[in-house]
Amino acid sequence: MQAQSAVKTKHKSVSYSKYGYFFIAPFFIIFLIFQLYPIIFTFRTSVTDTVGWGMLAKNNMSVLDPWWSNFSKLFDPANELYGLFWGSLWNTIVIWFFNFVPQLGLALILASWFTDSRLRLKGQGFYKVTIFMPNIITAATIGMLFMSFFTYPRAPVNTFLQTSGLANMPINFFRSTEWSRGLISFIQWWMWCGNTMIIMIAGISGINPSLFEAALVDGCSSRQTFWKITLPLIKPILVYNLTTSLVGGLTMFDIPQIMTQGDPNNTTNTVARFIYTQGFTGSRNFNNASAASVVLFGIIIIGSLLIRFVLSDREPKAGKALRKGAIK
Amino acid sequence: MKKALAVVLAVMMLLGCVSIASAEDAKIKLSVWSFTNELQGMIEKYYAPNHPEIEFDFQIYPTDGSAYTTKVDTTLGANATSDEAPDIFTLEAAFVKHYVESDFTGDLKDIGFTDEELSVAFPVMAQIGQNSAGVQKGLSWQSTPGVLMYRADLAEKYLGVTTPEEFQAKVDDWDAFLDTARELKEASEGACKIVVGSGDIWNAYQYQRAEGWIVDGKLNIDDELLDFEELCKVLEQEDLTEKGGAWSEIWFAGMRGADEVLCYFLPTWGLHYTLKPHCAEGVTDGMSDEEMAKISEENNGTYGLWRLTDGPVAYSWGGTWMGINAAKAAEADDAKKAAMHDLIYFFTLNDDFLTQYAADSGDFVGSAKAVETILANGGTPNPFLGGQDHYAIFSKAAALANGSLMSEYDDTINDLWNKFVTLPYTQDGADLDECLANFKNEVAAAITTITVE
Repeated sequence: MQAQSAVKTKHKSVSYSKYGYFFIAPFFIIFLIFQLYPIIFTFRTSVTDTVGWGMLAKNNMSVLDPWWSNFSKLFDPANELYGLFWGSLWNTIVIWFFNFVPQLGLALILASWFTDSRLRLKGQGFYKVTIFMPNIITAATIGMLFMSFFTYPRAPVNTFLQTSGLANMPINFFRSTEWSRGLISFIQWWMWCGNTMIIMIAGISGINPSLFEAALVDGCSSRQTFWKITLPLIKPILVYNLTTSLVGGLTMFDIPQIMTQGDPNNTTNTVARFIYTQGFTGSRNFNNASAASVVLFGIIIIGSLLIRFVLSDREPKAGKALRKGAIK
Repeated sequence: MKKALAVVLAVMMLLGCVSIASAEDAKIKLSVWSFTNELQGMIEKYYAPNHPEIEFDFQIYPTDGSAYTTKVDTTLGANATSDEAPDIFTLEAAFVKHYVESDFTGDLKDIGFTDEELSVAFPVMAQIGQNSAGVQKGLSWQSTPGVLMYRADLAEKYLGVTTPEEFQAKVDDWDAFLDTARELKEASEGACKIVVGSGDIWNAYQYQRAEGWIVDGKLNIDDELLDFEELCKVLEQEDLTEKGGAWSEIWFAGMRGADEVLCYFLPTWGLHYTLKPHCAEGVTDGMSDEEMAKISEENNGTYGLWRLTDGPVAYSWGGTWMGINAAKAAEADDAKKAAMHDLIYFFTLNDDFLTQYAADSGDFVGSAKAVETILANGGTPNPFLGGQDHYAIFSKAAALANGSLMSEYDDTINDLWNKFVTLPYTQDGADLDECLANFKNEVAAAITTITVE
């Protein structure tokens, strides 16, 4: 009897769950050192007077009085940082908008075509891979590629335009605000369209096929099926996609940095580039860079919450009460 | 007996160990940091074999982005006397002022340099190695004076000029330069332009200033800079350049013999490491002169067609300085100080070494005295320049260039000036006052340690 219970308790104590912790430990260790600590450090730096590596290394910065002094620079129209920061935020939103709207539109159309049981497109694998391909290449490489294509006065694009008679004079693309912003938006769109498309396909494939069949039997047109069935049912995926794209878009750095360096006249200067130039050029103003990072962090949180609030399915209150009643 | 012998042997072994250890201790340890392996190679080839008493520890952190300066700043900032910190570290033109103005670098006189020794360095390189109080903190083994390099065949064809002296008269100042640009465009019917782009002129023109960007802690916009803008605007409007950027395809095409660019503003290193390896299709770095000449002839290249002339202004572009870690130098004993002094002296000022090194590498060295010696020994007739002696031209520019213009934030300010004044004003037709206001705002935002009015 005693022996039996001993065996029982021993059996109970064999738990494999700790191995699970071992497996996830590397992520948390790396997260704590390389992400959480820098985030906390940024918050701390944003309320101090840290300027230059020397000060950072000697650790002799002090908290400002009042502590929000760095933040008030960003909100004071008389300060030289005000125009740069909010201007860069506006640039970022414009570039992101002209990348995201066509991206989502095209990705949705492609996804619904690829999943449409009536169309049965041939060679889907080929198209999917081709559309997804730009996403695999590093942004830096693509930035360099486009820069060398569009260089003034002599580069493939300008040579083509002139020899084909489309333009008499070479066009200085990177001195034009519209072209520069447009090219950055285009690259972002081109790179991320495939990715969004794959996510949308996954979302649509997750919908119960019997719903489509029922719609078909009921005589729905393709358009009706898309608007009335597909779209409402992939809303959670849309929210996810919109949120990740917003985070990615607002922290956009590599393409503008490589291709335009904010030219012409800061009209392609993104917030991330503004933070970089504050922190890593001139007198290395880590204080201002950190404050701007914290503000950007806040803006992203507000934006994400807004998307969640506006788009996600909230049960109407009446319905909730009704369900509660039914359970009772 | 055996026991006694064993004890004696053991004691001898111990003593042996101790004596080896003390010999190790007697070695002077020098930690040298750099951003390329150039100095390490030079030390290993020319210095270390004759100085077995020194144990070198080389650390190389490439300059991509600001990796090197970040490493130096954080190491010296955290604990400048630790074993990890360098004794001697090299400084590039982009950041030499940042270090000589800081407390990280020490006065070279503290390790035994004398005024007499320092006096043989080219003034422009010595001045750049000084802080604003005039304390000598860095010395360069190269000097990098800049000149005007032009195509003799094109100059003769379009301008009827046959000698560098005649050509110099046509580019003696910026007004003459502009007139020549117009004459060239007309004579060649637009086929050949004087330079690739106005950006090419900047490195030279900035030495036209009387004062640098920062005077008494305030941003200073020298009047010459406004003249530079007007010159660039005229060049742009009258279509007197190829409108291309430096290091672009069109820039290299001109070097390879596209016959559409007459002049390049380049310094010493530009001759050997930029112009020469691009003098023809198929020419690569590291070829011998004979090979290059042969390929150039086959491919219609430009080998032998280039000449040097002073150009409108003497300038300097580049250089690598050696500086000492102030904290470690203060702690060092006399033997170590002497070793540091000897090493820096050897590479930057020692006549015998520098003449030898110039002959081996073709580099233009930092000591005016060594250059005199080289010229007195018959100079350096260069087949790439049709037999012209580049040392003679470079030494003139090195003696004249003004080294007091450079400041700690030149890299950032030059970049902002180009982005917010030169490009909008000369290419987009923006209003100059507006451009200047934008520029001042940008500088004030980027550099919080100076005043902008």
